[in-house]
Amino acid sequence: MQKIAAHIQFPAYLWRAIYMNLKRLLLLLHKEFLLEFRQRYAISGIVLYVLSMVFVVYISSIKVQAQVWNILFWLIVLFASINAVVKSFVQESGARQLYYYQLTDPVSLILAKILYNTLLLLVLSLLAFASYSLVAGNPVKDPSLFALVLLLGSFGFSIAFTFISSIAARANQSATLMAILSFPVILPILLTLVRLSAIALRLIQDTSYQRDIINLLAIDTILITLTFVLFPYIWKD
Amino acid sequence: MWWKALSVVLVVYSLLAGMLAPLKPGITRTNPETAKSGQTVTVQVFGYNSFYTRSAANELRVWLEYDSLHALAGQDIKILSDTSLEASFLFPPDLPNASTSVLLNAILDHPKDGVSLLPGAFELVKNTDTAAVAGSGAWNRNPVGDLHVIKDFTFPYRNVIYESIRNTYYHVPMWFALMFLFLASVISSARYLRNPTLENDRRASAYAETGLFFGLMGLVTGMLWAHYAWGRAWSNDIKQLMTAVALLIYFAYFILRRSFDEPEKGARLAAVYNIFAFASLIPLLYIVPRMFASLHPGATGNPAFGSQDLDNTMRLVFYPAIIGWTLLGFWMAQLRIRYQRLEDRVMDLE
Repeated sequence: MQKIAAHIQFPAYLWRAIYMNLKRLLLLLHKEFLLEFRQRYAISGIVLYVLSMVFVVYISSIKVQAQVWNILFWLIVLFASINAVVKSFVQESGARQLYYYQLTDPVSLILAKILYNTLLLLVLSLLAFASYSLVAGNPVKDPSLFALVLLLGSFGFSIAFTFISSIAARANQSATLMAILSFPVILPILLTLVRLSAIALRLIQDTSYQRDIINLLAIDTILITLTFVLFPYIWKD
Repeated sequence: MWWKALSVVLVVYSLLAGMLAPLKPGITRTNPETAKSGQTVTVQVFGYNSFYTRSAANELRVWLEYDSLHALAGQDIKILSDTSLEASFLFPPDLPNASTSVLLNAILDHPKDGVSLLPGAFELVKNTDTAAVAGSGAWNRNPVGDLHVIKDFTFPYRNVIYESIRNTYYHVPMWFALMFLFLASVISSARYLRNPTLENDRRASAYAETGLFFGLMGLVTGMLWAHYAWGRAWSNDIKQLMTAVALLIYFAYFILRRSFDEPEKGARLAAVYNIFAFASLIPLLYIVPRMFASLHPGATGNPAFGSQDLDNTMRLVFYPAIIGWTLLGFWMAQLRIRYQRLEDRVMDLE
């Protein structure tokens, strides 16, 4: 047994590599927070966007059934997410991209952006949930499942939108491209999310929703793997 | 070159065989379609593609069947024409189960035409007026058996779809061709990323264009079929929706290709998006449809259809049709690549 244990011990250089990568990742994450903090108008803009959208939706349909609540909520989250993520590559100029190119590797950079955007989208969807349930009522019957759906949703949206925004940022009309490139790609995730949250609202009786969660995780895994493989080709400009 | 000839041969074969081979005989309806238990009723049976007059009336047998233990054979069969006959049924006073009415399948056995069947053809209602019950019919006095199975080049007769079953050879191969063409497009895109030549980019875009064309054809043939089988061309079936979205992804791919000033940059980013888009096709076409009810065959679970949806005669046309249309798609894509190559050369000369 001890012999085997000695074999599977990681060599020291591997530990150091992991440590260096983690440190780099944390530094890049720190950079994202710093950027956001310096440009406070951007995050305030998104927050205001969410609040105005909640009010527009509320005013145009004051009494909503749980079914409609579910769909409208995810539409608010979808549009808020796309607007929050679209700036993640546009805001940094080509010269600064070149600077990162010399400092770090593309996988760490995109992973830091995905993690940062996941946090941002989670905060935004919680804000949307709080403000929407304040004005239109809270039909959620299974809060823990709903919270899990929000987390998975933020993660999936973050992967797809971050990657697509890195493509769209290179083009001339990036906002239009962002929408047409990402909506078809996001649809499987969105449909699964709407279905899972309908289960959390007790609109559908389904005891085997774990399979949907696994599907969602599978889609996320496919997308994030492709992001790691493909991002280096987008980055080299 | 041989595969181009093969594609033409196979497509022509699938068109001819698919259109010319007749359907097996079937039963369209019975008249009357309902009766009360405990009575003797003369029922008229109408056939489709059938030749009842080809054999004597005593060789024909007809049943109304509930399950393997409950079947009634028709007596005094009279052949009226090739497509209609009469038989009298002595219904027992009790139903096979405790409910107030049951649906019976009509089964007809013909020594030359073979067996034909109409599920749920006849409704037998429990007679509550016991005084009106006459006779003493009993279930399964003459069980269903000794059926004639005829092997010839005919397609199965299916209710609801009838003759439109032939669309299997045109609608389904479009999706196979689309899948293979998109796969070729993704492979070309991946090769472009490793080796950025104009040729690889031309290939990726030509395969995607042809695949998109086959997708549109698949959607159109599907809508024509849906118009007859489901009553409406577009019934928001989950597979229709997902296919439409899948085609949107590729429209976005073509818009992305053209929205860059430098063609080299556009080609690279489009190649990246092509790979990403193909990976998201898999959940669209294979994962999401499993979560929702669908009108398509093999609806709950299978992305395609089950073994009972194809018989051996259909396989003889279906598989060649898939190979033929796929090869034809690759030929079309190759013409497109060559055209684009010439156009690029003209651009260089100017």
